Amino acid sequence: MAAGELEGGKPLSGLLNALAQDTFHGYPGITEELLRSQLYPESIASADMDFNQLEAFLTAQTKKQGGITSDQAAVISKFWKSHKTKIRESLMNQSRWNSGLRGLSWRVDGKSQSRHSAQIHTPVAIIELELGKYGQESEFLCLEFDEVKVNQILKTLSEVEESISTLISQPN
Amino acid sequence: MEASSEPPLDAKSDVTNQLVDFQWKLGMAVSSDTCRSLKYPYVAVMLKVADHSGQVKTKCFEMTIPQFQNFYRQFKEIAAVIETV
Repeated sequence: MAAGELEGGKPLSGLLNALAQDTFHGYPGITEELLRSQLYPESIASADMDFNQLEAFLTAQTKKQGGITSDQAAVISKFWKSHKTKIRESLMNQSRWNSGLRGLSWRVDGKSQSRHSAQIHTPVAIIELELGKYGQESEFLCLEFDEVKVNQILKTLSEVEESISTLISQPN
Repeated sequence: MEASSEPPLDAKSDVTNQLVDFQWKLGMAVSSDTCRSLKYPYVAVMLKVADHSGQVKTKCFEMTIPQFQNFYRQFKEIAAVIETV
């Protein structure tokens, strides 16, 4: 059990620790020791452990000698329910080594003058992407698109969406 | 992620780039050293952008599926607006 805990579980342990300190302060019997030995190994194994799996796991623990009481199980269960999304997101962010998309702003301008003598009226979309790697400051990328380009991108994005639909509709 | 149809008063980047190429892939993160069972899909994008001088740079980033859907939705909004201008 000890070896399994240490194996690559440190960032998650740290996060759960911090969250747990906050949530469990004042609950009798829920010590850090208890959480570490009962909950962490399971959490480390699966970021997408669903609620039913957790319930089953906790129920099994209450039946074990020296395991947790059903009250304690209820508290842990509640903790997981409320923090699961945050934990999952944190795990996802930590394993992404590329930049993530942190923000997107845009506006559309009607360009009505140009370098050349002829006046042109071409609408232009200015898009600002905020990109950033985990734990690093954001980088801003500003892009200009005319209507043709916007529609080209839209077409590409619809291909991506189709791909996603295909992936989701396939059973794992 | 914020959607903004108000003009940002000052863009944080001074240089406006042209998009030269947009490549994408749909990936699935399976496992990592911090988590044995990740199982989340993501969209990875590689942009080639050119500044005013013509210099081309590559920018890569990833989006979760909800982030991608928001990204797509905003582009649709942009298209709708640019059509009417």
